[in-house]
Amino acid sequence: MAERLSLSELNGAVKKVLATNFTAPVWVVGEISEINIHSNGHCYLTLIEKGESEDRIVAQARATIWSYTFRMLRPFFETTTGQQLTDGIKVLLQVSVEFHEMYGFSLNVRNIDPTYTLGDQALKRREIIRRLTEDGVLTMNKELELPLVPQKIAIISSPSAAGYEDFMEQLTNNGNGYKFYTKLFPAVMQGNQAEQSIVEALDRIYPYEDFFDVVVIIRGGGSQVDLSCFDNYNIAYHITQFPLPVLSGIGHEKDDSIADLVAHTRLKTPTAVAEFILDGVAAFEDRINLMQQETISLVENRLEEEKNLLEDLTGELSKLVRDQLGNKKRELMQRTWRFQQEIKLTLQNSEHRLGKKLQKAGFLVDRIFYVHRQKIEKARNMIHVTIPGSLQGKREQMDHYLLKFRHLSVRGIGNEIHRIELAGQKAMLSDPANILKKGYSITTVRGILVKDIALLKSDEVMNTRFSDGAVLSKIIEIKQSDKNDS
Amino acid sequence: MTVKKGLSYKEAIGEIEDILKQIENDEPDVDQLSEKVKRLSVLVTWCREKLHQTEEEIEKILKEIEKS
Repeated sequence: MAERLSLSELNGAVKKVLATNFTAPVWVVGEISEINIHSNGHCYLTLIEKGESEDRIVAQARATIWSYTFRMLRPFFETTTGQQLTDGIKVLLQVSVEFHEMYGFSLNVRNIDPTYTLGDQALKRREIIRRLTEDGVLTMNKELELPLVPQKIAIISSPSAAGYEDFMEQLTNNGNGYKFYTKLFPAVMQGNQAEQSIVEALDRIYPYEDFFDVVVIIRGGGSQVDLSCFDNYNIAYHITQFPLPVLSGIGHEKDDSIADLVAHTRLKTPTAVAEFILDGVAAFEDRINLMQQETISLVENRLEEEKNLLEDLTGELSKLVRDQLGNKKRELMQRTWRFQQEIKLTLQNSEHRLGKKLQKAGFLVDRIFYVHRQKIEKARNMIHVTIPGSLQGKREQMDHYLLKFRHLSVRGIGNEIHRIELAGQKAMLSDPANILKKGYSITTVRGILVKDIALLKSDEVMNTRFSDGAVLSKIIEIKQSDKNDS
Repeated sequence: MTVKKGLSYKEAIGEIEDILKQIENDEPDVDQLSEKVKRLSVLVTWCREKLHQTEEEIEKILKEIEKS
C-alpha cells in the first residue's frame, strides 16, 4: 500500500520543491487581466497569457504586490510610462514564486520594468498609426480650416474633471471680454469605457456641425494620467473623420497620444487649449483693428497728398500765369520799343528823303524861276524896246471896237423888245375864251373834241360849249362837205 | 449701411482686406474714399460687437441642444 500523505504534507512538499527550484526571483511577462487594490494598500492581480489568436488564455496566475512595494512601484511605473497600472496592459514583473499551503500558487511581485510596457505600447501605437495611414485618414482633421474666431465650442470632457473647470475659467473670464458659447458633451475620459464614451460624444456633436466652430477634447491635468485609452484606433479614426477641427488638451507633458497626433491642433493642457482659442480671437481683433488704423492713416495720407497736389498745382498754375504774363509783358514792351524804334527810324529816313527831295525841288524851282525870270527879263527888255509904238495903235483899234459894240447893242435890244410885244399879242388872240367870245364854239362828243365830222354818229349827244354856257344836242343828220370846200 | 444677415467673420475680414487693398492701390477716387471708409468701419464695428456681445439667437440654439 502506497504511502499516504496529508494535504498539508503534500502542499508542504510542493512548496519545498518550488523553493528549491526558484531560489531567486524571476522576470515574467504577463498581461494584467484584473487588478484590485485593497483598502489595506495591498494590490492583487490576475495575470494571463493569451495565445496567438489573442482570444484564448493559455496561462493564468495570481500575483500580489504588498502595500510596501506597491507604494513605490505604482508611481514609478505610472510616471515612466505615462499610464496607470491597470488592466489590459502587458507588464514585465520580477516575481518570486511562492506556494502557500492554504492559498496555493502565487507570485509575489518585487519589481516592475516599465520600459517593457512602453515598448509594447509603442508597438501598439505604431500599429494604430500604420492602420490610420493605410486608411488614408491620418491627417484629415488637420486639413480642415480652423475658423478665424472659434466662438462656439463643443467640449468633450468629464464634468467633474479639474481640467474642464480650468478650461471654462480661463475662457469665460478672459481679459478681453470675448464672448464664447460652450456646450459640454460629457464622456468617460479614462479606462476601458473611454473609447466607447468618447466616440458617442463625437456622434452627439455631429448633428450640430454647422452650429459649432470647433471641438475640444480635454481632461484633468497632473501626472496621474492614463493616456493609454487615447492610443486607440477607434477614437483616433472618429477624430480624423470629424467635420470640425478637434483641439486636444488631454494633458501629458511628455508624450503625445494617438488622439493628439490626429487632432487638428494638439495642446498640452486644457488651459493651453483655452489660451490657444483666446490668442486666435485676439489675433483676429488685432488684425481688424490694425487694418482699420492702416486704412485711416492711408486715407489721411491720401487726403494730405491730394491737398498738397492741389496746392502744388495751384501754385504752379499761378506761377505759370505769372510767368506767362511777365513774358508777354516783356515781349510786348520789346515789341513796342522795337516798333517805336522802327517808326522813328522810318520817320527819320522819310524826313531825310523828304528833306533831300525838298532840297532838290527847291533847286529845281529856283532854277525854273531863274530860267523864267531870265525869260521874263528878256521879254520885258524886248517890250520896252518894241511895244510903245504898236501899243498906241492897238488902243485906238480897241476904242473903235468898243464904240461899234455899243451901237450894235442898243439897236439889237430895241428889236428884241418889239418882238416880245408881238408875241404877247399873238398869245392873247389864241386864248380859247377870247375865241369863244368872238362867236366860235367848242363841240365834244363822248368827251372827245370834235375836229372831224367823221367822228360823229346819228342820235349821238353832242356837247357844245359857248363863251357863256353849254348846250347838249342830238345829231339828227350828218352832212359831210366836199373836200374842195374846205 | 448694414451687414447682410449670416455674415461670417471670414467674409467680413475678406471685405475689410479688399477695401484696404483698394485704398493701398489708390483705386477709389477721393469721392469714393469716404464711402469705403464708412463701409470698413461698419464691418469692423460688426466684428467687434460679435466678439464681445452675447447674441440671444445663439444662446437659444445652445439651450435647444442642451435639451436634446
